Amino acid sequence: MTQTDPQNTTTATESSQTKSSDEPILRVNDLHVSFKTDEGMVRAVRGVSFDVRAGETVAIVGESGSGKSVTNLAMMGLVPKPPGNIDSGQAFFGGRDLLSMSDRGLQSVRGRHIAMIFQDPMTALNPLMTVEQQLTEMTRLHLSLTRHDARKRAIEMLGLVGITAPEKRLRDYPHQFSGGMRQRVMIAMALSCEPELLIADEPTTALDVTIQAQIMELLADLQARKGTAIVLITHDLGVVAGVADRVLVMYAGRIVEKADVRSLFAAPQHPYTIGLLGSLPNVESNRDEPLAAIPGQPPDLSQPIVGCSFRDRCEHRFERCQTDDPILTPRESLGSEPHLAACHADVNTGETRQ
Amino acid sequence: MKDILSYTIRRFGWMLLTVWAVYTVSFVLMRAVPGNPFSSERTVPPAIERQLRARYNLDAPPIEQYTDYLVGIVTRGDLGVSIRLEDYTVNEVLAEGFPVSASLAILALVFALSLGVTAGVVSAVYRGSVGDLALMGTAVLGIAIPNFVLASLAILLFVFIIPIFPAAGWGTLRQVALPALCLGAPVAAYIARLTRAGMLEVLGREHVRTAFAKGLPKKTVILKHVLPGALLPVVSYLGPATASVLTGSLVLEKIFALPGIGSHFIYAATQRDYTLAMGMVLTYTVLLFVMNSLVDLSYAVIDPRVKLQ
Amino acid sequence: MSESTPPSLPSRPVAGPDEAALARILQESREIRGVSLWQDAWRRLRRNRPAMASLLFLVTLMLAAIFTPLLPLQSPVDKDLNNRRFLPPNFDTVVMGSRDGLKFEDGRLTSQLAKYQAEVAEERAEILAIEDVSKRTERLEAFDNRATVEHPFNQLWNQLGPVAFTMCRVRVAIFGDWAVPSLFGTDKLGRDLLARVFWGSRVSLVVGIVATIVSLIIGVSYGAIAGYLGGTVDAVMMRIVDMLYSIPFIFVVIFLVTFLGEDSVKKILDQYGIEQITIFYIIIGAIYWLTMSRVVRGQVLSLRHEQFVEAARTVGASPARIIFRHVVPNTLGVVIVYLTLTIPSVMLFEAFLSFLGLGVSPPDVSLGLLLNDGVEALSIVKLFWWVVVFPGAALALTLFALNFLGDGLRDALDPKMKNRS
Repeated sequence: MTQTDPQNTTTATESSQTKSSDEPILRVNDLHVSFKTDEGMVRAVRGVSFDVRAGETVAIVGESGSGKSVTNLAMMGLVPKPPGNIDSGQAFFGGRDLLSMSDRGLQSVRGRHIAMIFQDPMTALNPLMTVEQQLTEMTRLHLSLTRHDARKRAIEMLGLVGITAPEKRLRDYPHQFSGGMRQRVMIAMALSCEPELLIADEPTTALDVTIQAQIMELLADLQARKGTAIVLITHDLGVVAGVADRVLVMYAGRIVEKADVRSLFAAPQHPYTIGLLGSLPNVESNRDEPLAAIPGQPPDLSQPIVGCSFRDRCEHRFERCQTDDPILTPRESLGSEPHLAACHADVNTGETRQ
Repeated sequence: MKDILSYTIRRFGWMLLTVWAVYTVSFVLMRAVPGNPFSSERTVPPAIERQLRARYNLDAPPIEQYTDYLVGIVTRGDLGVSIRLEDYTVNEVLAEGFPVSASLAILALVFALSLGVTAGVVSAVYRGSVGDLALMGTAVLGIAIPNFVLASLAILLFVFIIPIFPAAGWGTLRQVALPALCLGAPVAAYIARLTRAGMLEVLGREHVRTAFAKGLPKKTVILKHVLPGALLPVVSYLGPATASVLTGSLVLEKIFALPGIGSHFIYAATQRDYTLAMGMVLTYTVLLFVMNSLVDLSYAVIDPRVKLQ
Repeated sequence: MSESTPPSLPSRPVAGPDEAALARILQESREIRGVSLWQDAWRRLRRNRPAMASLLFLVTLMLAAIFTPLLPLQSPVDKDLNNRRFLPPNFDTVVMGSRDGLKFEDGRLTSQLAKYQAEVAEERAEILAIEDVSKRTERLEAFDNRATVEHPFNQLWNQLGPVAFTMCRVRVAIFGDWAVPSLFGTDKLGRDLLARVFWGSRVSLVVGIVATIVSLIIGVSYGAIAGYLGGTVDAVMMRIVDMLYSIPFIFVVIFLVTFLGEDSVKKILDQYGIEQITIFYIIIGAIYWLTMSRVVRGQVLSLRHEQFVEAARTVGASPARIIFRHVVPNTLGVVIVYLTLTIPSVMLFEAFLSFLGLGVSPPDVSLGLLLNDGVEALSIVKLFWWVVVFPGAALALTLFALNFLGDGLRDALDPKMKNRS
């Protein structure tokens, strides 16, 4: 079992305590999302609840298909309907439920109060418009800036994200930028209206490793300066350890573990999280020891799931896991936040919990 | 700007080459056809024979005829004399018919573009609705019904049963409207399908999700972020569309009895008026070449990633 | 890959936990059943209702076209100017060969056939009785020629081939004199429209398919060669295609068709046994290859550096073999889709040329010719709607079905596109 050095995570936790207040700016409550496909109804998100406080970074971790992106797209009203459908749930932001808001209402929130950046900067920018057009259309709409002011703002934002000679680059098209630079443009665009919340959907997955670090640093730096809360969606636990305050682990459309970053890395309480941590390469571990992969496949979400969704891949399974779906229950926390996990087993002893 | 200039120059060179090739092939075919006015097999009175020979420079060796004719075209734009239409030069025939054909074709294209794009956008935006199904059903029908059948039905319906259009004639917009509609209909149908497919493809792209995530209203996203990309295939189709409109005009001019060059061409071909036929083939080659080049240019203007070559 | 793993692997002596894990992973991956591209595409296509309906319709149409001579239809060419001009659709049963003016025995095809056969047998016997061998052969030959021309079938059908002739025989044996009533009415010369639509579809389909195959052969070879060789060759070959795109082909075709329609040219072609319709196929095919070659070239360009091509090259396969055995089969999906979209345009083009009087010429029938007749009849004040509606519907339905099938195939072969459109 590998564990990240607790020393690394302390700094993140400490800094978060100074910047986060207790009142959540976003509260997601029992969200259910399904998709109609050729194979039947796929229940992609099956009851997800969490909240995000001002200025903090919440990481949502899970394999592809675990519902982490869909959760956030659903909140923003960006799930394509059909085939997608939001079956139930609420997402309160600034006292209003995003999920029951009109299109108009949502438009005034998107970009202005909640901004998003996506995984692949190669495709997330419009290839037929200049960077200037794409940057200014947002500030002109939401902040009612004049063309001149919007341009000034765009130059300022590009400078802020570390693009040299921003006045010149404004006239360029996305294909004239490198991948990392495009992601910087995306970030500049997302932050240009100074949103309270930034949803970053795997912002570094499509980039080179060196660039990844730069982008994460940039995000952390901008967060410190502007006080933006960040929801970081990723499958890379390595990224999480460095920047997140709290972590939600998702599996098969559910949150299976929820804790502050320190507690999660020090004492993971769900077998899936343990598996994820085990599959991280570690410099200190023995070279001959193979990377542990989690055996098996995630369940088919188009079929009804009875009992625990992880049981077929789990080394601690009991009779009970076949029939009872575990719910999130508090565990002993090593940090300031409660530590919750959804498992019938006590992973430390390997015995069933009562 | 420099790109566009050098592109234009290069395309012009290619056009000359193409026209030259077409000319050479046509010339050879014309002289090779037995029973043509130039061959000796014809039995005509010697006086007329002499006149013909003098007029068409037939006593000169073939190579000289070839170059003389070519020089005539290049230096004076002179396509020669019509063989069947006495007292007419090919240029005169073209000058007479061209305005008719050109306005018919332009009107048809404009109609096809505006109707096709609108229908495509509407059906992509309301995908799966009754309107979408109806529009796309009509579009497939438009592609599947030959335009001469459509034209005949339209005449029956709008000229005889509900007389809102005149049967034939030329000059007023009302007279041009019906033929242009019939000519543009299959093109409009094809453009509608292309636009719809393009819209749906672009709608699924990530940058559109970005645009929505930026809080732009749906209308802005559709018109500014989706439509330009969706129109790229339509723009590339405009070359073939022009060809198809030119082709269709041959038949429609016949059905509606319009005095365009299309009707002359059918006459020229069936009556073996080779100079006239060749003049038209050359004219249409130039037209199509110019249109294709314009299409390439506008493609490059819309999509900055495309390099002109 | 998983399916090719020898099944004996798990039973091998297990050396350690790693091997056990490996065996388990292999076992797991074997359980994920591999589905080939074609099976997958077929599964998707089967779910697409319009495409499947179109496929069914087209298969029926193909069968009907192949077996038209077997069907109990009336004669497509037998005219009756006195009694049957512009009859509206009706259910009055018609007996083959019964019209006034046709000198068939009893006004029945079967009686006439019997009479004809009796006469032929009689005369043959007479000729065979001749002693002189050379004279006998000569007489026999002349008689056989005359007998063929005078055969009752040849008065009801135009130039039946040997296969069609046999099918007509079978049909008479099964149905006798009975023929389907004029459900589609009759045309201006009193010919049965139902029979004409069937025979016309047969010709139009053949033109569509043969011309498309010609375009397929030219286009695929050209595109594959350009794409595979790449570099300067590719550039030059594609420049030529660009150039050809700018030639208004319709005019060239009309030019060529009239040129080939010239009596003296016809005579020369006849000498070589080339029929005009063959030339027609080739001309149409030669126009429609341009887009096909572009599409194939694009595919080949992307396939060129795939590993299986590299592999074929390393074992020393010749370029021709690599192109046609390894690369071309992999472009099949795109080619099939494009094919289903080319056939309709070729059929439309045939209709268009026939309409101008430059395509199939009477007494052959094609849908284009029928439509031309129909359109002519339309301008008459009295409304003979059936002469245009039925051939029009036949053509439109066929093109409709081909379009839907083409769309369905594209969706089935390119699932990525399906989710988007």
